[in-house]
Amino acid sequence: MKDLKTYLESGILELYVLGDLSREEIREVEQSIAQYPEVKAEVEAIENALQAYAISNAIEPSESVRSKILNSLETSPVEEARVTHLRPVESSSSFYKYAFAASVALLLVSVILLINLNNRLRESHTQLAVLQAENQQFSNRVNYMDKELEDNKKFLEIYQQPGQYKLVNLKGSPKAPAARMTVAFSPQKEEVMIDLSSLNMPSNDDQHQYQLWALVDGKPVDLGVFDSTDDHSGMKRMKSVKGAQAFAVTLEPKGGSVNPTMEQMMAIGNI
Amino acid sequence: MSRTIKLSLSEPELIQALRSRDSKGAEALYDMYSAALYGVIYRVVQHEEIAEDLLQEAFVKIWNSISSYDHSKGRLFTWMVNIARNLSIDKTRSKDFRNHSKTEDIENIVLSVDKGFTTSINPETLGLKELVEKLNPDQKVILDLVYFRGFTHVEAAEELDIPLGTVKTRLRNAIITLRKVFN
Repeated sequence: MKDLKTYLESGILELYVLGDLSREEIREVEQSIAQYPEVKAEVEAIENALQAYAISNAIEPSESVRSKILNSLETSPVEEARVTHLRPVESSSSFYKYAFAASVALLLVSVILLINLNNRLRESHTQLAVLQAENQQFSNRVNYMDKELEDNKKFLEIYQQPGQYKLVNLKGSPKAPAARMTVAFSPQKEEVMIDLSSLNMPSNDDQHQYQLWALVDGKPVDLGVFDSTDDHSGMKRMKSVKGAQAFAVTLEPKGGSVNPTMEQMMAIGNI
Repeated sequence: MSRTIKLSLSEPELIQALRSRDSKGAEALYDMYSAALYGVIYRVVQHEEIAEDLLQEAFVKIWNSISSYDHSKGRLFTWMVNIARNLSIDKTRSKDFRNHSKTEDIENIVLSVDKGFTTSINPETLGLKELVEKLNPDQKVILDLVYFRGFTHVEAAEELDIPLGTVKTRLRNAIITLRKVFN
């Protein structure tokens, strides 16, 4: 400092000790105290003089005050009165700092939770779809088994009521001597069914199918087509017919023909 | 006075005890400084009950904010007396206080204080007290206005109708006189 003596004599150090300076001036004096031993010594001399002056003007407070004050010190909470006159701004701004940090942390946690929850929701949807598919499969299977059971019941009915159904055994023609099959025929109900369990015909290719015919008064009547690879359980219902005398099977182009191809006669049986 | 033994510690010991919130520290703090601080507080507020409450408030504040006291910036007593004085000045500026007592003439107050308390002044400082009388009256008025009445130097200049520079010079000279007396 250029003019230390002027500074020491300016009176600012006295005002510093008396607490009569602005915040900025206080900072300046504190800097020069730290920097110049002369300033520090001067400030100490002023402090000592004023302390002695205060002591020489001391007034003893009444006796009862001592215990009252000492009690209040012992019971006063630690963080009660922070020195607000020294750093009021800092403490409030640090509150906002912490509040802001807390908000950001809370937001982060919320976002993570939300993402997590969303993933689990999606997972649940997938599981639900799988379960629905399984359920559908299961009910399909139940339907299928219901139908099979129904067929078997009918099948049983046919064999248990020989009076109603006539069982007609068809034997292989010279073209297919090993061919065998059984047709159930009910003249009252005009029903014709093939017993698939006893079906034993040479296998047909993709272009051809077997066609069942009824001979009514010497004329062939179409009763529908079937494959040798048909499911070998239950009965296959064919078209209905009245007053048949015999049944015959021919091999025809896929879908069947209007009239039977006599060269392809595979099996025949009379009632 | 029934209590004869007063606790006394060196300043660094006292600061240490206060920081560790030792009850011995509280006792030493009170025994060493209550009279000096009460003297300042009483002269500002001029009311025994209010001054006692303020003394308590000042000690609580000192006790709780000792961690913010920085030794490198000044002596402990300077820090404490400023806390006590600021609390007292705030009190005199509050509404209930102004309703409570109509301000008297400054000189009368200073006189009445000194008359009322000569008997309770510490006998050890009596010699010093007489030396203080060596202060020239102009210097003493300004010093007491600022130190014991809580005026800022700007307010003192207005009150006494003298230039700011003069206030500063008289304050400095008063303190120089005290330094000579007490060294």
